[in-house]
Amino acid sequence: MPRHSVLIVEDEHTLRRLLSYRLGRQYDVRTAADGKEAIERINEHLPDLIISDILMPRMDGFALQAALQERHDTRVIPFIFLTARTDEDSRRRGQRMGVDDYITKPFDMEQLLSRVDRLLERSDQFRNHLDARIGQDFSQRLMPKTMPRAAGYRSWFHNVPRDHGGGDIFDWIEPRPGTFFITVGDVMGKGLQAKFYAFSFLGFIRSALHTMLDATDSPAELMKRVNQVLVEDPLLEDTFASLLLMRWEPEQHRVTYANAGHCRPALIGPKKVEIVPYSDMILGLDPGAEYTDTTIEIQPGSALVSYTDGLLEQPMASGEQLGEAGVLEAVRHAHGSPQPVDSLVEHVLDISQRRTFGDDILLFWLQRDADREPAALRSGPRWFSPFAEAQGSV
Amino acid sequence: MNFPIEQAGQNAVVIRVGASLDFRNASDFKAIVQQQVDTGIRRFILDFSETNVLDSTGLGSIFSLHRNLSSSNGHVMFAAASRPVQVVVQLTRTYKVFRQFSSVEAAVQSLE
Repeated sequence: MPRHSVLIVEDEHTLRRLLSYRLGRQYDVRTAADGKEAIERINEHLPDLIISDILMPRMDGFALQAALQERHDTRVIPFIFLTARTDEDSRRRGQRMGVDDYITKPFDMEQLLSRVDRLLERSDQFRNHLDARIGQDFSQRLMPKTMPRAAGYRSWFHNVPRDHGGGDIFDWIEPRPGTFFITVGDVMGKGLQAKFYAFSFLGFIRSALHTMLDATDSPAELMKRVNQVLVEDPLLEDTFASLLLMRWEPEQHRVTYANAGHCRPALIGPKKVEIVPYSDMILGLDPGAEYTDTTIEIQPGSALVSYTDGLLEQPMASGEQLGEAGVLEAVRHAHGSPQPVDSLVEHVLDISQRRTFGDDILLFWLQRDADREPAALRSGPRWFSPFAEAQGSV
Repeated sequence: MNFPIEQAGQNAVVIRVGASLDFRNASDFKAIVQQQVDTGIRRFILDFSETNVLDSTGLGSIFSLHRNLSSSNGHVMFAAASRPVQVVVQLTRTYKVFRQFSSVEAAVQSLE
């Protein structure tokens, strides 16, 4: 958590230095000698709280407070008046104007510090509460209510958004019977801003798919177009995203994907569990980026497991991140369980530093039913780790 | 919070990224590189030798810098990428955009 910033507005040099020194132990302090200078400081950096004298040259405390009330970005900043005046008129005038607290000189430093602390705590609580509510709303809207279904297949989905998590996205459509497009992605950034971008981005991808699917079925072609728009459209400037776009044709037992710098999925094949290696450039960076389709045959009993970086970057008890090797191990462990995604999550938490995830977790497990009992697969030849190979080939 | 900066020739700087560039300090990083861009710096060598954490928010701040520079022919170079940074660069395939150098010295030499 970054330190709070406090702006001290005081024309008296000694007092300004004293306040700056004492508050500087806990907060990032900026100072100004009058209201005009305070506005300059505020334009450079919005403080979390303002302590201001009333009587000052050029622009006094009342005028400063009035100017800040005019602006939507400054009117909610907690404001404490600090003044030699003890008269009730100033106090009442300040309160009418929305001043949060009023301290008269000479004042007790400890009392001032505790009031600053309390005001900052209160505004933090308010903001966190509001962020959490909006964030949860976005998170719910970002996730579909139902899962794609096809004969001979089962799927499991797991998503636990966190208040300060990122912009994970998951979506699917079935534009023609028997053909599904599944998107798994992560919009870069953290917190509410990322969730908001993710929400807009998902809307954009959906409309791109709807308009382009008449012309092409290729995830790579779709990806290329999405990337161009992301790079060129000023509205989406500063939006970067990793995206895995999969076309799933259950009757053909085929998944064709393009991967724009997203976490590489794990494939449980008949003989081994491996990372599906091919991927291209992340979205939003290079206007000329090219994408390539890769087709995977889904054998009986096989499964394709896609996920986001919250899983990959989960800190292990060893201090290392889970990484692709850890993902493969967890997938192997969970395979065959009646609830493989729950089993995978439990396994990862067991070996984690803490029994919670540090970031949003999103997992999509798509499995083809086995022709025979899955036990035959499990008791088959021992798995070997393909990770060394996969690492070498990236 | 702190990203030491050294001049490295005409319109170029080396920035020591330090232990982590993630959601905690990415906005500080953005502010600091923006100051450099404002003073005319167009070539950035990022020293990742000590970096253990580079998350997607941190990487996003480097992408923003790249986008910001691309209209004026500037670029961002990665120097001495630690193992965790290499993993992220490989995963996102961004080595195609950011030239990779084994050391800061090698990156500085490439400027001439």
